[in-house]
Amino acid sequence: MPLRLKGSAGLSKTVVWATLGALLVFVLLPTFYLISYVFVRWNEVRVEVFENPIIGDENWRQILKVLFFSFRLSLSTVAFDLVFGIPLAYVLARKRFYGKSLLEDVVTLPLVIPTSGFGFATLITWTTVAGLGGALGLNSGLIPLNALIPVVDVTFILFTVHVALTFPYIVRTLETKFQSIDITFETASRTLGASALTTFRNILFPLSLPGVFSASVLAFARSLGETGATLIVSGVSSTASIAIVRWTSEFKLATASFMGSLLVVTAWLIILPVELYAGRRARSFRIPYQLPTSLSNRLIKIERLVSRRLAYLKDILPLIVVMVTVIVPIVVVLNSVILYWSTDPYTGKVQGGVLYQLFGPSNYFSSVVRASSTSIIVALASTYIATCIAIPLAFVIERRWYGDFIRSILKVPLIMPTSSLGLSVLLLWGSSGFNLVSSGIWLITLTHVVFSVPVIVESIIAAYEGSEIQMYEDSARTLGATAYNAIETVSLPLIKSGILTGFILSFTHSLGETGATFIVMGRDITIPALVVNMVEALAIPAALFTSTYLIILSLILLAVIRIITRS
Amino acid sequence: MALIRLVNVTKKFGEITAVDHIDLAVEDGEYLCILGQTGAGKTTLLRTIAGLLKPDEGEIYIEGKLVNGVPPEQRNAVYMFQQFALFPHMNVWQNVSFGPVIKDRSSEEVKEVSSEILEMVRLADRKDAFPHELSGGMQQRVALARGIASGARILLLDEPLGALDARLRVDIRRQLRKLVKDQKLTAIHVTHDQEEALMIADRIAVLRKGTIEQMGEPHEIYSRPRSIFVAGFVGGANFIEGNVVKIDSSSSSIEIRGGYEIRVSDTSKRVGEKVVVAVRPEDISVGLEEVSGSNNFHGKIESATFIGGSIEYKIRLENEETVSSRILLSGNLKTYEATEGIVVSFSPEKCFVFPYPKAGLLQEIEAI
Repeated sequence: MPLRLKGSAGLSKTVVWATLGALLVFVLLPTFYLISYVFVRWNEVRVEVFENPIIGDENWRQILKVLFFSFRLSLSTVAFDLVFGIPLAYVLARKRFYGKSLLEDVVTLPLVIPTSGFGFATLITWTTVAGLGGALGLNSGLIPLNALIPVVDVTFILFTVHVALTFPYIVRTLETKFQSIDITFETASRTLGASALTTFRNILFPLSLPGVFSASVLAFARSLGETGATLIVSGVSSTASIAIVRWTSEFKLATASFMGSLLVVTAWLIILPVELYAGRRARSFRIPYQLPTSLSNRLIKIERLVSRRLAYLKDILPLIVVMVTVIVPIVVVLNSVILYWSTDPYTGKVQGGVLYQLFGPSNYFSSVVRASSTSIIVALASTYIATCIAIPLAFVIERRWYGDFIRSILKVPLIMPTSSLGLSVLLLWGSSGFNLVSSGIWLITLTHVVFSVPVIVESIIAAYEGSEIQMYEDSARTLGATAYNAIETVSLPLIKSGILTGFILSFTHSLGETGATFIVMGRDITIPALVVNMVEALAIPAALFTSTYLIILSLILLAVIRIITRS
Repeated sequence: MALIRLVNVTKKFGEITAVDHIDLAVEDGEYLCILGQTGAGKTTLLRTIAGLLKPDEGEIYIEGKLVNGVPPEQRNAVYMFQQFALFPHMNVWQNVSFGPVIKDRSSEEVKEVSSEILEMVRLADRKDAFPHELSGGMQQRVALARGIASGARILLLDEPLGALDARLRVDIRRQLRKLVKDQKLTAIHVTHDQEEALMIADRIAVLRKGTIEQMGEPHEIYSRPRSIFVAGFVGGANFIEGNVVKIDSSSSSIEIRGGYEIRVSDTSKRVGEKVVVAVRPEDISVGLEEVSGSNNFHGKIESATFIGGSIEYKIRLENEETVSSRILLSGNLKTYEATEGIVVSFSPEKCFVFPYPKAGLLQEIEAI
């Protein structure tokens, strides 16, 4: 049958309503509350932001300045990502080569590694003597912390971090998109005489355009909302998401929530049209541009030449980007931990060594232990709660006519700037909202539930759509299984790997989350937040140790995901 | 009393009416084939009977009971998918015993029923294998065994042989029919393969655009097609347009292109009526001499295609009409080398006459 039928059988009304209720309260309400907060407390916002008795509209000017900075940063990041990400995605999608799955893992790494640890690794790589500067024989960092990139006017280090953190969105999304397009179109074009590059421009690229847009939007949203690594490398510049953290910690809740709402709304305003466009484009297709013939002919000649002579560039350049932004920082941080283990290698002082900072008077080791237990409790609790919501929710999405709508709503927490997310949860559950939970471990858990639900749901849906659940369930039904029995004996075992993958992904995500956690944690510090604190306290060796610990932890989890998805 | 009875059943998907006011009765122990092209509504009809789809209109009775609101698990009718839908996470034994286990039979009973049926389909020694380790034919047998073990008396088979290769398909047809008959089951088998339907069924329902075009025993459908579509779809035919010019006591004459006449034994049409004459290729003989008592036309051979045990000629008649003729090859039959001076003959009894369709002939033959 060409029609996709959504069987309505199998889910009782109670289950559906309970699931949707949980979704509403735990996942969606914080965002709505944040935005409504601005309206309800408009007077407060107005006084604080626009008509401050002392500084006038200085706060508003701050907001604008910070927003424009963030936009410059995010846009330039996405542009760079596209230039280097498209060739890499193409190579990953179309070529078979030794070490391909390793390369895929390396590209994905920044999604798994806790951002504050990664930010710290980038920071020492570029700006300290322990990094590239030392390796090249200088006695300072290779690049000063506040060095600006001309034209876009953002700091080099922020740009590098944002590229590394958003690159996977571009590459992996486009890789999947390219793979979904039948290779015979390209083969046909090649056998008809078009060069590889011409084929790409005329066939694969236009067909993938919706994918290019969604990937860019994801990367843009991610960059706009990135908080963890940005907190560490921002130096004197401030992005929008960091401003929220700062204002919240100064108890300027009105300004912070105004900024948070602005970010959420802008993110949505940019994403919604693209989502709609991509959705519609996927159905009917036309090459959206047409070049004049003379130009087109000249272009084809150039492309033929480039395809023949410069093809290696498309393999090499993206690899260099991955190498410089991802691998080098990780290697540097691992190497530095060894260098600094007992003493500072440059001054020879014991006080500058990892061991002294961990077990000496400042006793960071006990902080690390305490943070570890907080992190693990939060990750387990939030992932468990999220899984309980996500499993029935995935079924509701697949089996109800409004499923697609819910699925798109679930993108809200994923594109929401993390500091806005933290602020929204703080406002909703804390003293200015329900007043049920105060800052600390349970508020962190509630925050992590918000982004864990969509992560797990997506993973379950992928498994669900990959196997023909409906057919198996129908089969079980006609063999005598009740609706509930069929789900229990057939569907759940079939999507087990999806649930497990989602669980670990969400666990990893929770373990590394920094931006939102920083706002809601109170005195219960998690490991990534501890790294930020250490950097701010200039306890660099301790930060080195904790970052390494985090990176290794997440690498182990990544390996576990690999093993599960392979079997 | 009919075991399964459908009264006025309709199922729509938005604008499309997949099943259009169908009445159908299936007797206990009967093997019914629902034959139709892709998109005719076969699968929708079958899923509606299984309870996997709810009809928009009409009633479905099983064993005399109205089952419209009854969930699939209580209908005692097992649905078998073309892809077999063997649960990939269970081995053969777990698949086959799924029905008895889920219905809470005692463990002795489960064991007895499942092993007996596995013996029957000759797969007892593969009971620990997983579905992906079995060949297509074996998977098919496991799926059947699973259905029978569940205790269902009705098998709803959705293109059950579609996923098998051509050779196996023919073998399994016989086994399938024998199994249904031996176990005294009732089967509704959906297929688009007319040869399969003619061979396996007690009765055939030809489905077209969601309605039953003709229903009857295989030889009846073949020898007395009730419409142009059925004649073309089941068995295949040459279609020749013409007008009735004369009717006498035992035959009618139909004038075709070029002023030629065909004599047919059908006298039910009126003089002046526009008609379509259908003649099956196997009813047309090819020779060098005219055959007395038959319709004879002169022509030339355009092509001769060898198909296994027979040869198919495409012959262009003098009036530019092209007909095909299929001749069974036997020892003394000579094949025609010369392309000119050929005579094709067919008897008036072998001609089916249909009123000319409103939508046009081509539309009628090709429409789904």
